Amino acid sequence: MSEQIVIVGFGPVAARLVDELLPAVRSGHVRLTVLGEEAEAAYNRVLVADLGVGRTTADALALTDTSDLAAEGVDIRLGIRVRRVDRARQQVVLSDGASVHYDRLVFATGSRPVIPNLTGINPDPSSPVLPAGVTALRDLRDAEVLRQAVDGGKRVVVLGGGVLGLETALAASEEGATVTVVHNGPHPLGRSIDRGGGAVLAAGLRRCGVRVAGNARSTGVEHNAPDGGFSALLLDDGSAIDGDLLVISCGVRPRTELAEGCGLSTGTGILVDHRLRAHHEPHIFAIGDCAEVRCPDPGCAACRHASGPSGLVGPGWRQAEWLAGYLTLLAEGADADVLPALPPEQPGVVVLKARGMNLAVAGDNAAEPWDEEILTAGAVNGRPRRHVSQWADPEHGRYVKMTTRGGVLEGLLAVGMPRTAAELVGLFERGAELPADRSLLLRLDGPDQLPGGGAADPAGTVCRCAGVSGAAIMTAASDGCSTVAEVSKATRAGTGCGGCHEDIKGLIERHFQAAAA
Amino acid sequence: MATSADTHCPYCALQCAMTLTSPAGLAPASQPGPGPAPAPAGPTAPPLLDVAGRDFPTNRGGLCRKGWTSATLLNHAGRITEPLLKGADGIHRPIGWDQALDLAATAVKDARARYGADAVGVFGGGGLTNEKAYQLGKFARLALGTSRIDYNGRFCMSSAAAAGMRAFGVDRGLPFPLDALDTASTILMLGSNVAETMPPFVQHLQGARDAGGLIVVDPRRSATAAFTADGAGLHLQPLPGSDLTLLLGLSHVVIHENLVDAAYVQERTSGYGAVVRSVNAFWPERVQSITGVPADLIRETARRLAAGARRGGSYILTGRGVEQHVDGTDTATAAINLSLLLGLPGSARSGYGTLTGQGNGQGGREHGQKADQLPGYRKITDPAARAHVAAVWGVPEDLIPGPGLPAVQLLKSLGQPNGVRCFFVHASNIAVAAPDANAVIQGLRSLDFLVVCDFFMSETAAEADLILPVLQWAEEDGTLTNLEGRVLRRRRAISPPAGARSELWIMARLAERLDAPSTYSEDPETVFEELRRASAGGLADYSGIDYAMLDRGQAAYWPYPAGSTGTPRLFRDGFAHPDGKAVMVPVAPRRRRTPAAEAAGNPTGPAGTPMTLITGRLLEHYQSGAQTRRVPELAAVQPAARMQLHPGAAAAMGIGAGTLVSVSNGRGEVVCRAELSTAIRPETVFLPFHFPGAESANRLTEAATDPVSGMPEFKFNTVWVRPVTAPESARMLQTTEAS
Repeated sequence: MSEQIVIVGFGPVAARLVDELLPAVRSGHVRLTVLGEEAEAAYNRVLVADLGVGRTTADALALTDTSDLAAEGVDIRLGIRVRRVDRARQQVVLSDGASVHYDRLVFATGSRPVIPNLTGINPDPSSPVLPAGVTALRDLRDAEVLRQAVDGGKRVVVLGGGVLGLETALAASEEGATVTVVHNGPHPLGRSIDRGGGAVLAAGLRRCGVRVAGNARSTGVEHNAPDGGFSALLLDDGSAIDGDLLVISCGVRPRTELAEGCGLSTGTGILVDHRLRAHHEPHIFAIGDCAEVRCPDPGCAACRHASGPSGLVGPGWRQAEWLAGYLTLLAEGADADVLPALPPEQPGVVVLKARGMNLAVAGDNAAEPWDEEILTAGAVNGRPRRHVSQWADPEHGRYVKMTTRGGVLEGLLAVGMPRTAAELVGLFERGAELPADRSLLLRLDGPDQLPGGGAADPAGTVCRCAGVSGAAIMTAASDGCSTVAEVSKATRAGTGCGGCHEDIKGLIERHFQAAAA
Repeated sequence: MATSADTHCPYCALQCAMTLTSPAGLAPASQPGPGPAPAPAGPTAPPLLDVAGRDFPTNRGGLCRKGWTSATLLNHAGRITEPLLKGADGIHRPIGWDQALDLAATAVKDARARYGADAVGVFGGGGLTNEKAYQLGKFARLALGTSRIDYNGRFCMSSAAAAGMRAFGVDRGLPFPLDALDTASTILMLGSNVAETMPPFVQHLQGARDAGGLIVVDPRRSATAAFTADGAGLHLQPLPGSDLTLLLGLSHVVIHENLVDAAYVQERTSGYGAVVRSVNAFWPERVQSITGVPADLIRETARRLAAGARRGGSYILTGRGVEQHVDGTDTATAAINLSLLLGLPGSARSGYGTLTGQGNGQGGREHGQKADQLPGYRKITDPAARAHVAAVWGVPEDLIPGPGLPAVQLLKSLGQPNGVRCFFVHASNIAVAAPDANAVIQGLRSLDFLVVCDFFMSETAAEADLILPVLQWAEEDGTLTNLEGRVLRRRRAISPPAGARSELWIMARLAERLDAPSTYSEDPETVFEELRRASAGGLADYSGIDYAMLDRGQAAYWPYPAGSTGTPRLFRDGFAHPDGKAVMVPVAPRRRRTPAAEAAGNPTGPAGTPMTLITGRLLEHYQSGAQTRRVPELAAVQPAARMQLHPGAAAAMGIGAGTLVSVSNGRGEVVCRAELSTAIRPETVFLPFHFPGAESANRLTEAATDPVSGMPEFKFNTVWVRPVTAPESARMLQTTEAS
């Protein structure tokens, strides 16, 4: 059997799907067409901010090689829009008038930046026209706009205190721009972190040279630059934050209009079941940012607590891997439903990509250690209650919070403690139980993890390689050995790796000091 | 009259130079047969030889305590000095050599007649001299007529070897002399604990430590990792099984921070674009989430490597810790890709290398012990290689069988239909050292006839129908190739016990009984002369090397074609692919089962807490411990296996220091004492693999293998750990004492 698969979109998730489908393309079971709106093939969108501050190159962002794919027989079409999907005829109609038949259609259309309703910006959500000096940060062109501002040492205003906004602000500031982050709420990162973590984070941002304007509601933009471009962000208290470039970082919204246009069910994203199939449409699938896993079964327990698309690339890649296996089985005419459904995603982990700051956050961190009512809620039928452990050291920019149930993390927040953050993230993702002594996790960043120097102990082994004790070395010294070489000859100490020569010297000195005294 | 011989240590691949002095004097070397030998004495008898370190570029006069005490075994009470045949009652009794050889030859003929030539198998070892390894490969193919030969190096160097071949077109552990490390300002060591495995090596890290540039990647704060303290460098402590991802993260930083040696990559490599794309998805914060290594440490490591390459030099060295995995070849490849991006291999002051483990682990993988290989590192499937070797051997080409089975499959085939029925084991203790050791022992017991060559009653020898006693290092001449690819002379310092024989002699006598084509010599130098011709023109070309020049002290690094002066530094002018370029192969981590997932999928699994098991070595012991466990001074320090675990994890399991613990999974169980240490990650336990029986770590390791190299999964296994209850403990101790 052979099936025609059409993928709409060519971002990082689509690229992974293409890679994973290549064996089926080679074996002749799949004919593959990929339709990309951008002129470039898939690149690593996660690093667009890095590109925008000059820390990497567009070449290095490439995730795929179109000529390699073409050589494999994949039909790649770039710079083309899908005008509509004709489900009855199983074909997609393209902006150049052509149409392509599909046996299976995969939406990987991703998302687009949310543009807030500000005076001075066209509010059309599907194709906002951003004035000069205002940009989102989503694609290579956006990165180029930021790049010019950073290279010119300009003033950059970042609207939005989410992860991408903070990463952009920190990177741009470090590379020479003057940066202000404007966010609503009392601290950046909103509800994913708590007050303590927020305070330490904001202080850390300031220490890195980023100005932070909190509790701010923006109402409009001012265009008084000499070229008519952006000059200030206006706030509802009548104040204005001056700048040369406004970077809008207010989150993303799934691109669902094409799916809606052909009558598919959508919520926040295109609704798909646990096999990533669009509701009641066995020929169409959706993955990545545009997809929302929520099955049509109202009684499904897994979907009751499901949130919308995470906006993170990891879940999208896992979906791509899974779907490739599923589509391959379908194309081979095998019973694809023997493949276990894709397991539900764990709540996402966010690790701030920044050089001067370290922050990791996951799960629910709202409860405080003494919030008995909140922590015991839901602890019925033997289900353990939650507990919170906390460490705050704002002077040194360190803050850790661990929210556990039965010793397993349900929430974590670590600021300024890289080793601890790395361990907590690992424990969270593995669902592993924390050590009962939580302070073990705090000490990973401390100097007591390194073996102390200190003088050699005559009672213990000084030379591990040859297995010689301090006592034996002292005996050699009292027998007249006064140099390391002499001790080595007499005892073999120091004849292996040589790491104990200083210790031997110390013991010889100790012997002669004692003799002199 | 006291005489002395300059030789090298019997144990690891560092092959420390030593001088052996015999107060009793030495039988003339021209007398190959056994001379008068002192009767074996008790384990506390004074050694027959004095051992002294000798100045040499690798060990600089240093030895570790394994080397210092090596002479203890020459006259050890447990030494086997006569052929032993197992009776129907399971007891081994001495027989004469003629009878022993007749029995072995008859067993071969029987198996061949009943099941075909491939029913006879051979298992070699990385401890055999070049001469023995070479002649063993020839003996298997021509005298036994079997394709079924492989060796324990498959558990050791095969992943790095496969990766090196793929990238560079040739595999020499260190393609540069060891003392080149002295001047390096950055050295990245992944999965290697040289401070325990080859202590004198550590001298060569001093320069990097002084420069603050020793970077050690190990899930444990090993003795080597501890050398990074006090500003000497960095210790990266990734989760077991995540090394490949860490390496991709390092390459990511090198590419994105523009640290690539662009001119080098352009001129000397191919495959750059694909590697760029393959590492793109591994930005440091994502790698941090997978490996547990903080993003800033990943960046700093990459930057230091790049800075080192521009200053004193940068080296990347891999060891078994990252290679002994089902993705070991890809992990070694990722390390090579990183080194190529930085322009290290083949440059004047930088490089990539892998640290060979066994004494002749390098030479042993070049001359035909491998299932797919002919002497000179030639491929057995290459018609030109077959023609060349057939000509040297004086046999028609089609007499040489095709490729056999790599070690794990070979061992799985023992006693199976169409498998091996008659098996020869040399220089290897597979009952302890092979993965899934319980299954291996079952395989050995299901054979029609097992012949083991050893000088002690190793756990494998104990299973044998016939044990043939062989020589120890101080009793023989030959050559070994150390971890640098330098060929060294092993020299005889003492006469062997009257009943012991060299494997060369055994092969020659068996070949006579089997009417084998070609010739088999018992004289090492004669065999080496043939090896020279067989290797000529191959990748590992020894044709320009002879005993006389080695005896003059000349440094001989292969490839050493006749008429050349050898190759201390490989790749200066090009790599061994036809276009002279190194090949970068994009690699990606495969999905692996985590202990948690395995536990979840196995609700009725063993009792206890699921943990990740890693295995490794102790300073005092070597490999399966068949030798070092018999040295009283070493056994006194490390008499038994101890399972290392983190005190935090231990507390939750009710385990204290010295608690008897059970470590088990579907393959087997280990019972030993616990040792608590903050040097290990909390979800991981460590077991040394030197101990047999109830303490045998390889009862727990999985025989799953790397698809490229055939390397088993030694360093990432799920086990369930629990304290042993008091009644259980009493019963177990009784059983242990009874056995």
